[in-house]
Amino acid sequence: MSNMTQPEPILSVNNLCVSFEDSRGVMRILEGIDFSLYPGEVLALVGETGCGKSVTAKSMLDLIPQLSRTRTGRVSFEGKDLLKLSNRELTQVRGRSIAMIFQNPQSSINPVFTLGEQINRLIRMYLQDDIKQICKQRNLKLNAAVRQIAKEKLAEVGLTETGRLMKSYAHEISGGMAQRYKIALALLSAPKILIADEATSALDVTVQAHILKLLKEMSQKKGTAILFITHDLGIAAQICDRVAVMYSGRIVEIGATEELFENPMHPYTRGLLKAVPKLGDKEPLQGISGKIPDLANPPQGCRFHPRCDHRLVICQSQKPAYKGNLKDYVVACHLFNAKDIS
Amino acid sequence: MKMSDALIELQNLKVHFPQKKKLTGKVTTWIKAVDDVSLKIFTGECLGLVGESGCGKSTLGRAILKLVPLASGKIRYNGDEIQHLGERKFHFFRPKMQMVFQDPKASLNPKMKVKQILSEALAICTEISKKQHAQRATELMSMVNLRPEHLFRYPHEFSGGQQQRICIARALATQPEFLVFDEATSALDVSVQAQIIDLMVTLQGSLNLTYLFISHDLSIMEHICHRVAVMYAGRIMELQDADRLFAAPRHPYTKALRDAVPIADPTKREGMAILEGEVPSLLEPPQGCRFHPRCRQATEICSQQVPVATKLKSGNWVRCHHHEDIWNKFSCPDGHNHA
Repeated sequence: MSNMTQPEPILSVNNLCVSFEDSRGVMRILEGIDFSLYPGEVLALVGETGCGKSVTAKSMLDLIPQLSRTRTGRVSFEGKDLLKLSNRELTQVRGRSIAMIFQNPQSSINPVFTLGEQINRLIRMYLQDDIKQICKQRNLKLNAAVRQIAKEKLAEVGLTETGRLMKSYAHEISGGMAQRYKIALALLSAPKILIADEATSALDVTVQAHILKLLKEMSQKKGTAILFITHDLGIAAQICDRVAVMYSGRIVEIGATEELFENPMHPYTRGLLKAVPKLGDKEPLQGISGKIPDLANPPQGCRFHPRCDHRLVICQSQKPAYKGNLKDYVVACHLFNAKDIS
Repeated sequence: MKMSDALIELQNLKVHFPQKKKLTGKVTTWIKAVDDVSLKIFTGECLGLVGESGCGKSTLGRAILKLVPLASGKIRYNGDEIQHLGERKFHFFRPKMQMVFQDPKASLNPKMKVKQILSEALAICTEISKKQHAQRATELMSMVNLRPEHLFRYPHEFSGGQQQRICIARALATQPEFLVFDEATSALDVSVQAQIIDLMVTLQGSLNLTYLFISHDLSIMEHICHRVAVMYAGRIMELQDADRLFAAPRHPYTKALRDAVPIADPTKREGMAILEGEVPSLLEPPQGCRFHPRCRQATEICSQQVPVATKLKSGNWVRCHHHEDIWNKFSCPDGHNHA
């Protein structure tokens, strides 16, 4: 969608590999992730538990424990390779240009400070210029100006009654409010990229609908690119421009949402779509037989081949290469030639 | 499927939890988790129970199995009143009613092998001699599509889907007639969830089981439930056949719930309507219809009178003062513009 008008990606990940070492040996969690994120787009990263969705996002910002972890590949953002930055340089990126929101909003807010204290601290950190401007314009003291900005920013995400809210602690507000508050914090620094890691999975459907709408509006209004990590294909279908399907450490298929749902190519994507219950559609559900591979001892070749109904001999020995144009539609499967992908 | 007689019948069931003062332990107020619920569950059916978190759906499931104390009301099992029975007398009924929980890992004892887990249920609730436990355990494993050698493993050696199969096997060990699934598939991945649902439907057919399926996921309900009850703030708002409930909801809350579900089909994007407001506190639920502060159709009567359950032609019912107007609006082609 947006990649046609703005062909320059804001973030591109090339051959990102992450592995951990533990008593059972080397666990190769990510086996070469490639994708690009374009300004203003919402990209969904979908897959089952343990396929490496969160590790992909967290390893870009170096948020996973560094002990026994090895990373290779390249993550280009604003002309820099994020994997090569020192911790000090990364703090300039984390939260400032790439912000992240997590699954359980209440537990990702500091429980010992009030919500007001936390947002005010961030405003002082990120919005020095705005504070000075408001102080001058409205002839306010510093603290009053900060409060004023906090109020505006919270109103943007639909939080009213800010007076009471600023004095509350994390446990005193509902899950939906907490997630709105976290989004307000994440957007304070006007980040270029927002990573939402299962941001609505812990919420009720009615609250989830609010949050999804808010995120979509924010991305359209401010041009923030969103990487939406989810296991819910419904969310991907509803709010995302493109979808990347992950299986056991690799992206197996990536493309525009309409195209991917209309005409899925990879057998895993097809299986996943058949397993999702859809409201108003009573086709019988089909699970994918077998289970996700053991990462300490993954299958040779294509990691999906033991569960695949269409496997060829080559699948057992050779890892399928990415076929297609990274900008449009890519699939990693031996069943297809580059020609098949328009 | 025979749907003539009710296996479970609930009459004005109430479950209230005390809210105590911290130091003195004096009861200040009561949290009305389940407030005046009357419901019949027929033999051989799968009844869905859906609602937002904190609406009391799990409490209702537990109350039927007498796992929480009741404030008032009656529970009939096959015509016998069981609400007043003590634990010893209830022991006769316990094997017939079993429960499967959300988190399979947490509901299996990590120190026991699967064989011990199943034998424990067999020893407590059945008359089967100890010698026959192994044979029965193998039978149970094959019922849930696990292999006999799995009996000698510990729960942590299984994946989430397999663990849930073990939980189902344990529930089936006592040869129950009635099973409560409390969000039994919510913690699983979609591909595994589809397998478990398939298993549940097969077992229901072969063993003639009756299910109460508690979930917040409406799209699964449509797949396995015959009828669905929609719960809001401790009360059941609507009881309908599953197909009809989602195609033509009568209660505004059911409609709001349905419209909030993201559908895995990018061509159906206009949905995702927004329900304003928050779930009411069960300490002081709103007067009249409990949904009225969030309802777009609400009028004065909604805030004053509790709506009675109105019977519909299909034999099901809805609790809404305006369900007929809403029905007429939705039946006309541009009905969705009512707001």
